[in-house]
Amino acid sequence: MEEDQGDIIGKAFVEHYYQLFDNERPSLSSLYQPHSMLTFEGQQILGVHDISSKLQQLPFERCRHIVSTVDTQPSSVPGSILIFVSGSLQLPEEEHQLRFSQMFHLVPSPQGNLFVQNDIFRLNYG
Amino acid sequence: MDPDAVAKAFVDHYYSTFDANRAGLGNLYQDNSMLTFEGQKIQGSPNIVAKLSSLPFQQCKHSVSTVDCQPSGPTGGMLVFVSGNLQLAGEQHALKFSQMFHLMPTPQGSFFVQNDIFRLNYA
Repeated sequence: MEEDQGDIIGKAFVEHYYQLFDNERPSLSSLYQPHSMLTFEGQQILGVHDISSKLQQLPFERCRHIVSTVDTQPSSVPGSILIFVSGSLQLPEEEHQLRFSQMFHLVPSPQGNLFVQNDIFRLNYG
Repeated sequence: MDPDAVAKAFVDHYYSTFDANRAGLGNLYQDNSMLTFEGQKIQGSPNIVAKLSSLPFQQCKHSVSTVDCQPSGPTGGMLVFVSGNLQLAGEQHALKFSQMFHLMPTPQGSFFVQNDIFRLNYA
């Protein structure tokens, strides 16, 4: 299957996002802006400051995201991308991995780089 | 009507149409709509309806577990993230799925699906 530009950007973003999440969670704030939205297991959080706090306060010190699938599509604003991820989340000392799905809507900032405008995360229970 | 209520109403309508009359999904998509179904990319309402109508099961029932929504930006779009179960006739166990819709407003005051991504969630 041929990869288009969006697929390449989407996969690179997803790798970067989870690498930051798993190794330097505070640095995730570089990917959100004041009007970014996160819905985390049904809880709505608005803005880079509150999103960053929420992610840093999750009840585990370390974790590892293992991505199974990444699907991308262009969104309505030129240069924006929708990304749909499924994968597993390994927490230390937990025998079984948690499965998750996550959606990102990446939008260009005035400076031209992509940031996460919309982020929705759900665990997939068996 | 509040966005969560709009999203839930849309999701209910989408799956009840899917489960009862798949061809009826045609007016929920437009020429520039995109579907990615288990990794396969399809564009445009006729192709999307053809794909969904040709899925290898006659009857199915979607049961929704969670619906999350967020506004997608200045164009008035809405992102809807669904998880649920898909029961196929004759199958003992339901399949779990996640699906993402990007809805855009129509001039008539309803929504169409501009982006649609569907994935089964394997255990």
